[in-house]
Amino acid sequence: MGMGFTGLALGAMLQRDGIASGASWSPPTGLPHFPPKAKNVIWLFMNGGVSHMESFDPKPMLTKYGGKVIAETPFRDTQDPKKLAIERLVVPDANGNKRNLLYPLQIGFQKHGQSGIEVSDWFPNIARNVDKLAVVRSMWTTDSNHGAQAQFHSGRHMNDGEFPTLGAWVHYGLGSLNDNLPQFISMGTREYWNKRDGHYLGPAHDAVPLRIDPANPLDFGKSERPFAADAQTLGLDLVQQLNALRGVEYPNDPAMAARVASYELAFRMQRSVPDVLDFSKETAETKALYGVDQPHCRDFAMQLLAARRLVERGVRFIQIQHGGGGAGAWDAHGGLKTNHTKNSLAVDQPIGALLEDLERRGMLEDTLVIFATEFGRTPGSQGSDGRDHHIFGFTVWMAGGGLKRGIVHGATDEIGFHATENRHYVTDIHATILQQLGLDSRQLEIPGRKRLEIDHGKPIREIIA
Amino acid sequence: MRFRFLITLAGAALFGWTTPSFGEADYVKQVKPLLRERCYACHGALKQKAKLRLDTVELMLKGGEDGAVIVRGKPEKSLLIARVTNPDADERMPPQHEGEPFTAAQVALLSEWIAAGAPAPADEKAETDPKEHWAFRPRVRPPVPSAANAKWVRNPIDAFLAKQHEEHGLLPQREASRAVLLRRLYLDLIGLPPMFAEIAAFENDTSPDWYERVVNRLLADPRHGERWARHWMDVWRYSDWWGLGQQLRNSQKHIWHWRDWIVESLNADTPYDEMIRLMLAADELHPNDLQKLRATGFLARNWFLFNRNHWLDETVEHVSKGFLGITLNCAKCHDHKFDPFAQADYYRMRAFFEPYHVRMDMVPGEADLVRDGIPRVFDGLSDTPTYRFVRGEESMPDKSVEIAPGVPDLLAFKKIEVQPVTLPPEAWQPERRPWVLDAHLAAARKKVGPAETALVQSKAKVAAAKSGDSAAAQGGVNVAELAVTAAKAELASLELRIAAMRATWVRTDAGVNAAPSDDEREKINRAIRAERDVAVVKARHAVADAELRLPQATAAKKSATVEKELKTARASLEKATKALAAPIAATDKVTPLSGAQWTPTRFSTSTKDDSKVEFGATSTGRRSALADWITDARNPLTARVAVNHLWSRHMGAPLVPNVFEFGRKNAPPTHPELIDWLASELIEHGWSMKHVHRLIVTSAAYRMSSSASGGEANEAKDPDNLRWWRRTPIRIEAEAVRDSILALAGELDATMGGPSVPTAAQSESKRRSLYFFHSNNERNLFLTTFDEASVKECYRRDQSIVPQQALALLNSRLVQDSAVRIAARLGADVPANDHAAFVRRAFRGVLGVVPNEGELAACVQTMEAWRKLPNAMPDATRTHLIWALLNHNDFVTLR
Repeated sequence: MGMGFTGLALGAMLQRDGIASGASWSPPTGLPHFPPKAKNVIWLFMNGGVSHMESFDPKPMLTKYGGKVIAETPFRDTQDPKKLAIERLVVPDANGNKRNLLYPLQIGFQKHGQSGIEVSDWFPNIARNVDKLAVVRSMWTTDSNHGAQAQFHSGRHMNDGEFPTLGAWVHYGLGSLNDNLPQFISMGTREYWNKRDGHYLGPAHDAVPLRIDPANPLDFGKSERPFAADAQTLGLDLVQQLNALRGVEYPNDPAMAARVASYELAFRMQRSVPDVLDFSKETAETKALYGVDQPHCRDFAMQLLAARRLVERGVRFIQIQHGGGGAGAWDAHGGLKTNHTKNSLAVDQPIGALLEDLERRGMLEDTLVIFATEFGRTPGSQGSDGRDHHIFGFTVWMAGGGLKRGIVHGATDEIGFHATENRHYVTDIHATILQQLGLDSRQLEIPGRKRLEIDHGKPIREIIA
Repeated sequence: MRFRFLITLAGAALFGWTTPSFGEADYVKQVKPLLRERCYACHGALKQKAKLRLDTVELMLKGGEDGAVIVRGKPEKSLLIARVTNPDADERMPPQHEGEPFTAAQVALLSEWIAAGAPAPADEKAETDPKEHWAFRPRVRPPVPSAANAKWVRNPIDAFLAKQHEEHGLLPQREASRAVLLRRLYLDLIGLPPMFAEIAAFENDTSPDWYERVVNRLLADPRHGERWARHWMDVWRYSDWWGLGQQLRNSQKHIWHWRDWIVESLNADTPYDEMIRLMLAADELHPNDLQKLRATGFLARNWFLFNRNHWLDETVEHVSKGFLGITLNCAKCHDHKFDPFAQADYYRMRAFFEPYHVRMDMVPGEADLVRDGIPRVFDGLSDTPTYRFVRGEESMPDKSVEIAPGVPDLLAFKKIEVQPVTLPPEAWQPERRPWVLDAHLAAARKKVGPAETALVQSKAKVAAAKSGDSAAAQGGVNVAELAVTAAKAELASLELRIAAMRATWVRTDAGVNAAPSDDEREKINRAIRAERDVAVVKARHAVADAELRLPQATAAKKSATVEKELKTARASLEKATKALAAPIAATDKVTPLSGAQWTPTRFSTSTKDDSKVEFGATSTGRRSALADWITDARNPLTARVAVNHLWSRHMGAPLVPNVFEFGRKNAPPTHPELIDWLASELIEHGWSMKHVHRLIVTSAAYRMSSSASGGEANEAKDPDNLRWWRRTPIRIEAEAVRDSILALAGELDATMGGPSVPTAAQSESKRRSLYFFHSNNERNLFLTTFDEASVKECYRRDQSIVPQQALALLNSRLVQDSAVRIAARLGADVPANDHAAFVRRAFRGVLGVVPNEGELAACVQTMEAWRKLPNAMPDATRTHLIWALLNHNDFVTLR
């Protein structure tokens, strides 16, 4: 396990800036701070905002009181302005945020598994695996627009500026588990407010974007002009030889050493990445399980299968965006039923397959899978058939990586408006993941970069096995 | 709370009170840092709340309003412990919102230390007065040290360094080779490597002043402005516009005008103080000078569609960091924890900017602001009050006090006097600018020609039409004729509107507020009638057009659409005809022509523009006052911050470690006198940056080798090269990497200035990288890989070394295509079978140095191997070698 190049980048930068000149700070060693329970993370992010009531926190009261004005139902106190005060706006949203007419559930739900956790009928494959999940039904955030996507990744509201994402912190804190691939990979489209990861940790901690395109999986991943492999290999040997020979005139040059190492890794990456995407060695059963042959879920299935293969090869953190771009695919202001039907079809089978596949390969114990979204959707209707953004209560779930299985933690009120029990801000998810990876976020703090209490969050102990 | 308290005491008992092993060292290492972090901001040199200081044990024993805060050996009787463990949030220290309560372990630590008798070093010193902090003290030109290493010293910069070399037992490294120096100067001063012919010429130049001549030539080279503009664009946060899809959300369209102004200003050696004044307040200082107004792009760049506070926060933060090297942003929510800046100071700084807004001014020759225009600032919100936000929360403005523009007391070396500026009419009525009317007229004339051409074509259609189609063709002629009439009517109306506007200006300029004269009234009436006439002709055209299309519309839906259009057009025609017939009332007005457009914001709701911010006849003068204070020679920070940036980008590391933070939090600089000397040079030479560039690059310090070889003794004493005993190598910036490759290939497009090259055109473009469209949203992949500036903040460039850079240099078309061209250029007159000669040529041409024996042998050997490969192309070995050298560490390194 080593620091690779990235440690050099930031450590050197901080020393250079004199920020870290005190004896109290040194760059991370790449080793966990305490024994870890998990090694890898697969971070699945549903852009746009999944309706919590119609996924993993079903609320029959919505159907019962459907069409009623909230103020005339027993749930009127949900609109108490004091409870709504957590909201921080970038701009008053034209959508408004008062959705007063309760909107009935657009899909049925059932209890599943031993645990009997209720899941909507839009997610049958995930539901089949519900006994592997730790469902957190009491999330809240503060940005009621889609800047909340960035907020879920970094923990900070857009108005505060831009901050490193969880993946960047993990990349910064932990050493490599393999010698051939980048440690932090991202797949799927990201909108500009959430495009980068490293921020003040530096661009070296940005995720490396990977495309499910064997012909062009990685930026500059293969020669853009015809270049015979043997000629290239000879050339690369020459580059490394020449770099070494410069060492006579410029001895003990850490940048040179890092450059030489970076070329070695680049060369190996160039070879290894196409192999990750070569699904020909996967069985037909596995491919069918993920749904790579199903047009409605093919793209996500390929990404998830690739994710499993990346984890097998030791890639630390894989961040996958579903429906990224613009506001996000799940943003069902209108036509919620059509929207969520289509999107759940695109993700449900691949996710169910990922959980099963990881489990049967004995990988789920070491791998944390997170299913997250920037916020939930309003219990009240928007227009005739949509739901608006909703920050006061929503659901994410996690699985594997030493977490409890088949449990629900936290709850919203009867209409899914406010998280009422065991409320968790988004950084509690970060803290839980870091905890499982053996990292203490406080030990990772960068001198001169003040982090607030809430940035660190608190691990959700109740879901840790 | 109660519970926490109990645990706290238990913890203290458990860990502390009975173990007397706590010593001075533990105090220094553990207790003091804790108190510094948690308490000094209010109880130290910065502030003495309750007249209490905690920065030495003596001061703690002396105590404050409530007496001593520690009792040696008795934590249970020490006020310090009582206060940090007090369960009552109002009594607890640190107070609510000022910091988290101490943890049990921290309380235990304090208790243990007190129990041990509160040991502290005998010579413990109190924090110095913040006023005495070096960067806040007035700048005094220091005497140049004499004597040390006189043989090495080339100019006073070296004298300052030599003094410390002597004090620390260091010997500066030898001068770098001429080849290395040449490449260093070229890349540093113009951002491009020397061409092979230039290298050859200078290698043969025996004159003693060859170096100075290179420096002078490069400083006079227009590419110098392009190179250093990019540095300042980092610091000043240049960004092309970005948003969601086509919606502008950040920065401004056509902001490249500001970039061009930076390039031109640097080439003209416009004084640094003047550049600051123009960037902050050109609209007040030169309200009619479009060229200078471009400078205010610095502020226009902060424009943000949705949120004024977000916008002004960025403005305050980066004016403070960029020009002054202070982190005023830390005082947004509470008083600054390290520097003597009150929270109110943050809002006083904001008040300078509170009135400003952004508009787009028309440039000569272009009436369409979508195509071109100059984004610039103006004071449009002059009456908007500035309030302090309680704890920085915008939902909690303290409306009891209106905050006036001002600067922190500590830096108030003179009174800030804000004088409102009366603007010339053209500034706030930009339609008066002569080119504006010309541009409108030209645009109207331009529409007549195509309409007439269309008419000719439609007439030709009639001639060619088969009998069955002739009716439709005739209808087409009718529509085309009406289009010509409309275009001509519009032109005529424009001329009349201009005449009317001019007549009104003559009257108002003479200060006559009475009713218009008969002559003026007649002009106005004619213009109004002409406008009504245009409306009628246009409506007639629309009706005819729809009537013509109706029979042609096939699908039902389509024909319904056309029918609807026709209905609307007929209604408009009816309305316009009535209007034309109606008498003109005295209150009727000519629709004025516009010469500038306010950039509309959406602060109140995301779907509707806010109501228009008008251009006023006066500007508040606030920003001029701020600029005047920033650029005053007595401002202790401005020049120091500037020379530190210059030094950092020339030398690979700054003199003051953190370039945007000169406050007490920053590590003390190793060479404060050198900074002050350079700052004095800058100011006393009319703020000429070229003067400072020349001083730095002609110093012996600049000319040292970056090699540590032979400097082992130095390395042992100063491994981080803090005393500048050798040169610090630089991983060259993204733009320099790409530009260098293209330059060596002979392909770099020397065109200067103009609109940014759009992302889609970049892969084929050979323009210099600084001209590439670059925003938060759109970035060039190759440049990003090499740590291109973040538009949000980039006071220094990252110099990461990651495998993606290797992939970009190994695999990109840019490198591979250029390698072919470079090989052809360098090898044209080298015999085909002479590998060694080509290798020597390639090393000098690509890396700027002569290869050593080992390098030569390795290259020749590999070329042989390439040649012997099956399917080897005859020229490929040379291309491969160039490709390998472009991947050499020293290609992307400034040695």
